[in-house]
Amino acid sequence: MALHRLSFRLRATVCHVRTLHTSGWGQQQEAVAVESEPEPFSVFRTQETDPACQSEKHLGQFYTLPSAHFRPLFPHGLPYRYQQQVKTFNEACFMVRPPALEVISYLKKADYSKPALRYLFYGVKGSGKTMSLCHAVHFCYTQGWVVLHIPDAHLWVKNCKELLPSSYNSARFDQPLQATTWLRNFRTTNEHLLSQGISRVKSSSDVVGALMKDLRLQSSQPGADFRLVVAVDGVNALWGRSTIKKENKSAVDLEELTLIHNLKKLMKNDWTGGAIITTLSQTGSLYTPKSAYLPQELLGETGFDSMDPFIPVSVPNYSEKEFESAYLYYLDRKWLQHPQSRTEDGKKELSFLSSKNPSMLDRICGFL
Amino acid sequence: MESTAKKRRCSFNKDWETTYHWVKPVQGDSQRVFCEVCQSSFSVSHGAPERSGREFGSRKPRREEGEPRTEKMPLDQDWTAVYPAATPFRAGSVPLPVRMGYPMKGGVPPEKKGNLELIKIPNFLHLTPAAIKKHCEALKPFCTEWPSALDTDAKCDEHFPIKVECTDYVSSGLSVRNPSARIVQLKVKLSILNLDDHARKKMLKLVGERYCKDTDVLTITTDSCPLRQQNYDYAQYLLTVLYHESWKTEAWEAEKTVADMEEYSWEGSPSQKNIMDMLLRMKVAGEGEGEEVQEQLLARSEVQEYKDSVTRLKNEGDNESSVLQYKEAVKKVFNL
Repeated sequence: MALHRLSFRLRATVCHVRTLHTSGWGQQQEAVAVESEPEPFSVFRTQETDPACQSEKHLGQFYTLPSAHFRPLFPHGLPYRYQQQVKTFNEACFMVRPPALEVISYLKKADYSKPALRYLFYGVKGSGKTMSLCHAVHFCYTQGWVVLHIPDAHLWVKNCKELLPSSYNSARFDQPLQATTWLRNFRTTNEHLLSQGISRVKSSSDVVGALMKDLRLQSSQPGADFRLVVAVDGVNALWGRSTIKKENKSAVDLEELTLIHNLKKLMKNDWTGGAIITTLSQTGSLYTPKSAYLPQELLGETGFDSMDPFIPVSVPNYSEKEFESAYLYYLDRKWLQHPQSRTEDGKKELSFLSSKNPSMLDRICGFL
Repeated sequence: MESTAKKRRCSFNKDWETTYHWVKPVQGDSQRVFCEVCQSSFSVSHGAPERSGREFGSRKPRREEGEPRTEKMPLDQDWTAVYPAATPFRAGSVPLPVRMGYPMKGGVPPEKKGNLELIKIPNFLHLTPAAIKKHCEALKPFCTEWPSALDTDAKCDEHFPIKVECTDYVSSGLSVRNPSARIVQLKVKLSILNLDDHARKKMLKLVGERYCKDTDVLTITTDSCPLRQQNYDYAQYLLTVLYHESWKTEAWEAEKTVADMEEYSWEGSPSQKNIMDMLLRMKVAGEGEGEEVQEQLLARSEVQEYKDSVTRLKNEGDNESSVLQYKEAVKKVFNL
């Protein structure tokens, strides 16, 4: 078995040698067995699959997510295009980038008897905020934390087909469909840690609320052996506006939605023993201008005051090195078929057209 | 029924040459004659030349148009003589190859000769620098000397802080009056007025749009009265009233809410509460409740830095550097 894997690796190395040799790279290393110091396989990949051990020297390199982690960890939460890419390439690769590494280093250093720290990824559209969030979540997962991952808070404030008055508090409204989907995914992620079943559909929103409260209390207890990470994508939805309307066509205030209400309670850092990692997202947000990407613009006054104090982490577009890495990765996976894309000029053209924005690069390469 | 007088077409008659000396026959067409005066031919099929009224007698011959004036203009001419007053554009008087108009397909904008577009628009050919110089020279006898002590702008501002601007209009017409002459504009810098913090904020709220933050100038424009004298008095009155009112504090001003505040102040804001809560929970300062703990916490440098960064973020809005400053401050508070 090991031999088979070895030969596969050697074969892959030979391919790498060929492609990289043609593009002019001199140095090659044959990866034989796993050494104590993980050597890069090729210039853009790294063998280090454990986010805890990744450091600055792995910056710009791709690491492969072990498939055992992939299915349970990300039933929801990855960007749609990336999911398709994973299916095409048959592997899930994350690039090690400074924002995610920074947050992981804070997570390592933080003191968990103190209140939960809040981190916020912000950046222009398509710069890799959700991916950085998922990278950080992977780290937490490998450390054995309980992961409470909400893929996109914007989904909960718009296009709601069913709205029921809450059984617990009659002033609020429930969203049973969204709640059940989320609970199902939550179970997939945390199956190995918890043993809870999914309840009936009707009261699912209340179940979500109870679950959140429970987790919060548990992780706050001193001497608790588990930690909780709350990962919310598109957190600015919690303080924006909603397009859901009541039957008499009046707009629903965000406070009246049970799910949002419970989530906001989680966001407050009155519990200990965990971390809150969030991203801003303009893409799904309602009534915000397209060019807004800075924290205060998207969070608004109330949002900022609720999240304050938090650590904003900027996620920029690719740097030169990262762009090289991504380009080589696509070449390696035979994603770039056009002959001109292999030339230096082609590379410069790609870099200019996408202005090194990760999602733009992905879209452009899709045509090649 | 047939009419008795038969109608038939006329053709050229030799007798006409003697009667009208300007008539000549046209080769190849007996029903047209050639008029030597206007150098054109016309049809006579309806009768003798005299019937076609326009060729009658001694019509003034159309003379050749001469050379345009532009050819004869010397380079050092006096332009003010060409355009002494505001007149429409004359293609023959302006020695510039100007083109104006929409270029049709494959073409260029039409030239100036006969160009209605150039004639329609207002032109300032009568106001060249040379003309302005002449106007100034003509006005000089009516002016007095500028005071020599006021040689810089700063001195002018110091001695005459309030600037009043009015416009006079001259035109030729049925009446010399112009209703726009009643408008009076009063400009003053707020830094000159003796205003304390509350008075300044109240003044800014009272004047609203009339204040320019970049130049610190308050502009009061009055035009509600029919005479300039009245508008001037009204503007002075407004300035006085604004000044005195902003010094007074009314009872309802106590209801000023956070949303009315012009600037963000950190004391008493949710941000302060948040950070205080956090630090207390983190038990940084040690056990103990109450005011001394708060004071102690506030005095710490990280908290001060945090306060500065939040104030800057809120007042200036978002930009990369203010967000980075905020990040550094928060990291310091959490000792990361």
